[in-house]
Amino acid sequence: MEPALRDGDWLIVAPLGGAPSPGEIVLARDPRQPERLVLKRVASVQDGRCTLLGDRPDASTDSRVFGPVAVEDVLGRAVFRYAPLPRLGPI
Amino acid sequence: MFLTKILAPKTVARAHCDLPCGVYDPEQARIEAESCYKIIEKYNASNDEVFRARAIGIKEERADLAKHHIDVLWSDYFKPEHVQKYPEITELCWKAAKQCSKVKGSVDIADAKSLLDMIDKIADVWTKAGGPQATRMPKAVAARA
Repeated sequence: MEPALRDGDWLIVAPLGGAPSPGEIVLARDPRQPERLVLKRVASVQDGRCTLLGDRPDASTDSRVFGPVAVEDVLGRAVFRYAPLPRLGPI
Repeated sequence: MFLTKILAPKTVARAHCDLPCGVYDPEQARIEAESCYKIIEKYNASNDEVFRARAIGIKEERADLAKHHIDVLWSDYFKPEHVQKYPEITELCWKAAKQCSKVKGSVDIADAKSLLDMIDKIADVWTKAGGPQATRMPKAVAARA
């Protein structure tokens, strides 16, 4: 997800409170392995299913590999990065 | 330190995009799995408690490395077109990664053997998907001899 997210970023993830919207970065369960959590960008939402894509298509494991993700498996949206300090700010 | 501890996130999520160097080979996982196999053999043949304790520790490390290499193949190397052509690869990698966890906690040689077989099945798909021509650098002829 670089440069939007970097390895080691500390994020605040807020509960969804409504359907996810295209363009936002969400925390979701990997449908292949529900205990594995991923952060990806919402590409589209249709019939209760989200297509999640990484920002780097050539290097990303996303809905192209694991398929669309049920909205119930989207746990929240990444709203704020609180560390590292030089990168502090809203997502 | 205390504050950092309080503020540190409790949950880890993956947003990983690898820097695609393009070098992938199931052999990396196999070598670690072979280590597990041999360690279990030596563990079972030994009566030395210290040796056995060390063997357990090292085997757990190797099983973790095997799991890491399988995870990299699965999430970074195999692309949607591979999955489409060889749909079995998702399950093969998933089962092999789980088998690594089993080997981590087991001293049964059959568990290590079954991990080797699973990695060989992944290697078959890797070979069909392009194999060393697609993912490795050629060695100098002299080095090969």
